Amino acid sequence: MKKLLILTVILFISVAVNAQILKAELTATGLTCSMCSKATYKQLISIDAIEKVEPDLNNTAFLLYFKKGSAVNISDVKKKVEDAGFSVGELVVVFNLNNQHAANNSSFTLDNNTYTFMDTKAGTLNGEVKVKILDKGFIVDKEYKQIVKTAKQYPTYASNNKNLYHIKVL
Amino acid sequence: MNKILLFISFFIYSNAFSQELFVFTEPASNMPAKALGIRDMNGFMFEKDGKLNYHNMPELMLSINKKLMIHAQGFISNRQDGGFETEGGSLYAKYRFFSEDGKQSHFRMALFGRVSKNNAESHQEEIETMGHNSGYEAGFIATKLLHKVAISSTISYERAIYNKPTYMCSSTQMNNSAMNYTLSIGKLMLPKVYTSYNQTNVNLMFELIGQRLNDNNKSFLDMGPSIQFIVNSQARFDIGFRQQLYSTMERTAPNGVILKFEYLFFNVFK
Repeated sequence: MKKLLILTVILFISVAVNAQILKAELTATGLTCSMCSKATYKQLISIDAIEKVEPDLNNTAFLLYFKKGSAVNISDVKKKVEDAGFSVGELVVVFNLNNQHAANNSSFTLDNNTYTFMDTKAGTLNGEVKVKILDKGFIVDKEYKQIVKTAKQYPTYASNNKNLYHIKVL
Repeated sequence: MNKILLFISFFIYSNAFSQELFVFTEPASNMPAKALGIRDMNGFMFEKDGKLNYHNMPELMLSINKKLMIHAQGFISNRQDGGFETEGGSLYAKYRFFSEDGKQSHFRMALFGRVSKNNAESHQEEIETMGHNSGYEAGFIATKLLHKVAISSTISYERAIYNKPTYMCSSTQMNNSAMNYTLSIGKLMLPKVYTSYNQTNVNLMFELIGQRLNDNNKSFLDMGPSIQFIVNSQARFDIGFRQQLYSTMERTAPNGVILKFEYLFFNVFK
């Protein structure tokens, strides 16, 4: 029994360490041409935590692969897209989670960033979990304004806290 | 005029991607932050007596951040008797103050200013601080990218300060300032479907460039059709034609051919 307990504890510790952002699907807005896409690509690839960027030119989308074990700051992604001269239209992040409890307004912390669930069914999340970032600058302005109107039950939404993100499990 | 309208409607209603990297005007959009661009413009302009004026304008472009760009440009030409001569240069700044992005669309507005010095003689009423007059220009640009079409318009005030042999400042001394108006439309013709950054992009553009002198209301309107090739999503090669549609003012060499090269270096400084 004691061994099992220790094993469980070890498992939990390793689980905590393993939780990370694996990749992200970014849709950029404000551009069509390949020169603009390449400008965005060059900005994204300069982020330290990024290992590989796969562009989808026809949809002005980018698949971002992050380096294993590196701390990922999704605000870097937003900044680089804006530096290229464009905006983030949608950012879907793929987390690797283990036994993560999910419920509206509940949070977890990873690499000094806090992620709060919104519009998500209560449950336990395991493995690769796709979430959409709902904060300002990560969705189109129209959608953001729409959410602000209906987000009274989420007191932290639109709080402009730099290290706090709101996520919806897809 | 009907032909122009037909041409414009062809651009608006045809179904392809678009471009706004215009040949004769600047869009309200900027280069990516921390990028360096080099550009060389070659103008082969025909004087009325058939003499060919060659202008070379090398240009360095630097984007300080996502909103502010600075260009430095030199003016070289063969118009003087002694052959090729460096006539002057200009500094240009553009500040993008409004930006709204949508899916494959955007609307941007920018303010720009240019200060030029030119030692060459000017023998025309037209005011052109890019390669002809010493002076300055300040204006406003609005650019709309709407799904597949890019449309851009500029309005600016331009003032000539001094040029030998004081043509500007003697008989027509009053007419040393002008308002400029431009309208540009661009469209990407190839590729139809993107597969990589290495595909050569082909753009067609059509621009209208007009000027009205402030004190005597003399004016001109030019058209500038052009074709543009973008290689490796990083290098630009433009061939443009400038043709006067009408003019009520004295102009030395309004018609000609423009060849333009441009190369972009990304993330040049931290």
